[in-house]
Amino acid sequence: MAVKSLPIVPSGDPGALAEASNYSTWRILRPEITEPDKVNPIVTLYCPDGALTLEESGVALNYKFCKGCGICAKESAGIRMAPEYTGPKGVF
Amino acid sequence: MTIDFKNLPKEELFGQGNVGCKGCGAAIAGRQAMKVLGERTIITIPASCMATLGGNNTKTTWKVPFYHTLFECAPAISSGIRAALEIQGIKDVNVISWGGDAGSADIGFQSLTGAAERQEHMIHVLYDNEMYMNTGGQTGSQTPLYAITSNGALGKKVRKKNMMAIMEAHGIDYAASANIAYPEDLMNKFKKAASKKGFSYIHILAPCHRGWGIKPEDTVEVSRKATECGMWELFEVDEGKRTRTYEPSFIRVADYLKAQGRFKNVTAEQTAELQESVDKYYGRGE
Amino acid sequence: MNKVLITGSEAAAIGAKLAKIEVLGYYPITPAFPAMERLSKYIEDGELNCKFIRVESDHSALAAVLGGSLAGARSYTVTNSQGLLLMTEVVYHVAGLRQPIVMGVANRALSAPHSRFPEHGDAVSQGASGWIQLFSENNQDVLDNTIQAFRIAEERRTPVMVNYEGYIQSHTLEEVFVPEQDKVDAFLPLKRMPALDVSDPRGVNTVAGPDVYTDYKYIQNAAMEQALTIIPTVAAEYNKVFGANSCGLVEGYMMEDAEHVIAAMGSIVSTARLLVDELRKQGKKIGLIKVRAWRPFPVQAVKELLHNVKFVTVLDKNIVFGVGGALATDIKANLYGQGNMVINGVILGLGGGKCGVKEIKEAVDHTESSETNKNRSEWIGL
Repeated sequence: MAVKSLPIVPSGDPGALAEASNYSTWRILRPEITEPDKVNPIVTLYCPDGALTLEESGVALNYKFCKGCGICAKESAGIRMAPEYTGPKGVF
Repeated sequence: MTIDFKNLPKEELFGQGNVGCKGCGAAIAGRQAMKVLGERTIITIPASCMATLGGNNTKTTWKVPFYHTLFECAPAISSGIRAALEIQGIKDVNVISWGGDAGSADIGFQSLTGAAERQEHMIHVLYDNEMYMNTGGQTGSQTPLYAITSNGALGKKVRKKNMMAIMEAHGIDYAASANIAYPEDLMNKFKKAASKKGFSYIHILAPCHRGWGIKPEDTVEVSRKATECGMWELFEVDEGKRTRTYEPSFIRVADYLKAQGRFKNVTAEQTAELQESVDKYYGRGE
Repeated sequence: MNKVLITGSEAAAIGAKLAKIEVLGYYPITPAFPAMERLSKYIEDGELNCKFIRVESDHSALAAVLGGSLAGARSYTVTNSQGLLLMTEVVYHVAGLRQPIVMGVANRALSAPHSRFPEHGDAVSQGASGWIQLFSENNQDVLDNTIQAFRIAEERRTPVMVNYEGYIQSHTLEEVFVPEQDKVDAFLPLKRMPALDVSDPRGVNTVAGPDVYTDYKYIQNAAMEQALTIIPTVAAEYNKVFGANSCGLVEGYMMEDAEHVIAAMGSIVSTARLLVDELRKQGKKIGLIKVRAWRPFPVQAVKELLHNVKFVTVLDKNIVFGVGGALATDIKANLYGQGNMVINGVILGLGGGKCGVKEIKEAVDHTESSETNKNRSEWIGL
């Protein structure tokens, strides 16, 4: 069996987790920006995952990083939480 | 809030893709701090949730050099890093050790007090979720009185060890308490600490919703209540001069305790006792 | 070359000074502290440009030195026994992180009962850690081993322990040839290999899953095995450049026609040489092997030296409880199936106990006696 190719000092590539992540499978609820003018930019500093950033146009949400914790909706107007999955429910 | 959002660095040096729980208070603290510290920072983190959520195998969320150290010795490691940078003539790099309550106040205390006594040119951050969360939520010295933990269902019988007083006693350049619900205050404190030539200590209240028995979305609000009821004072000791940096609105201590599952068995007498000690501390009602 | 009369502690300190160490951390412990103090004096006198971190424990000493190494500086520390055991967690961690740290160990017995006297128990306790371990026969060896250790460590990114005995070497004066600084500079070119570098950020020591941990250990072990080639090569180059007499992995003495061989490491080797000379005068075909590199264990070299031998007396100044002396166990295990020589594992000199010519002769005689049970360790000096 061949040994894997690994960095000589056990270590991780910077920012690699960000590239690999996709938290849609974690979410039960997802935030939706319903009133962009009312969103408090402070939420960009309250998000644990860096999913909310302040762009020229206002606060933007990147679903790639969002785990659906609900802090932003709680701390600001203009954002509400909606179900991630809205299809049929039940045991299959 | 008077944060100049337009001029905050856009780059996320920490946090995106982190494998922490949703609503992780520690991750919030990390993101706020890195907005100030910038990319010329080396951060050492002893065994803790923060070390674990930062990366696994060959991937990490950090974009600055990060090192997951052994439990006891992050401040000692940081002392060595600073020495190596100095001998190479590298002067403009922040050296931070970022420990949880165990890695700073308990098992890590020895190396913390050693580095502080030596007045090493570094910042030590204690991100405080008031229990040993990375191993499931056991009681530690930073667990407050009456709090229930995973190995203490009857509630803690003794008070939280006063780390701010201990660190202040070392005569270090800068010591400050902070709270993730007050990002402007927190970021100002990091700015001050980064400018110091000696040792700085920042103690951040960063709730863990799992350990505290709250909903993830309430993380920031409960953290805010801790300061607003007076139990988590926001202050700094800058070269020996003490200043309170935020005047609380003094909501009832009961509001703060009732919001959390870990205080579910606190009696009315115990709540009154805590309210009285807070009142006494702030010189109120006399 | 300068000839001076110095202790082993001074030899270690001079070695580190000539190697131009840049980060030094240490926590005082008997009998290692003279080497530490000597280095602090060099720094304070301006003879060594090095940052000293006055840590508050032995565990923090190696941690501070590790921090220095990770940020790209050549780093060094000294300790022994209780201190070494306290820092064991960091010892394994350093090897796993592949940092080229050199550590002087002034071997001392382990508590309990409390002893400050020399033996190899502390070094042996770190046998599985992944550090290369060199043993010194005399103060010249201490100096030569220390300088070569930096070269060996940086070659394959494997940390090196330079063992020398408390009091017998650390506090005893011997003649030592000290090489010139410029020749050492050429022998030890500074190669920075920082793992924590703001211009090339990495997340060091992320949590490793089962799918990579084994591979990391395989790679680490392979590097340790490569040291079997590097150690003799570096010794040969050192001897050429400095006119020295370093041995590689192991060295034979009077081995040409030896039928009985004494195997040992550390200061007892020089005592054993006296016995070998004495017995040779009486016509006995006896020889000696000095084991300089105990980790990695030089299987091939030992096998070759012990090829046609009838009796082996292995001297161990240590005990691995329930197994026997560390060197004897290694030799017996690796010579399995090679001929039917008698190997007698002898435990002596523990906690500073007697291990002179008389004791070694007693051991040698017992090896050849049919009454001695060679399956159990023989304890001398009770």
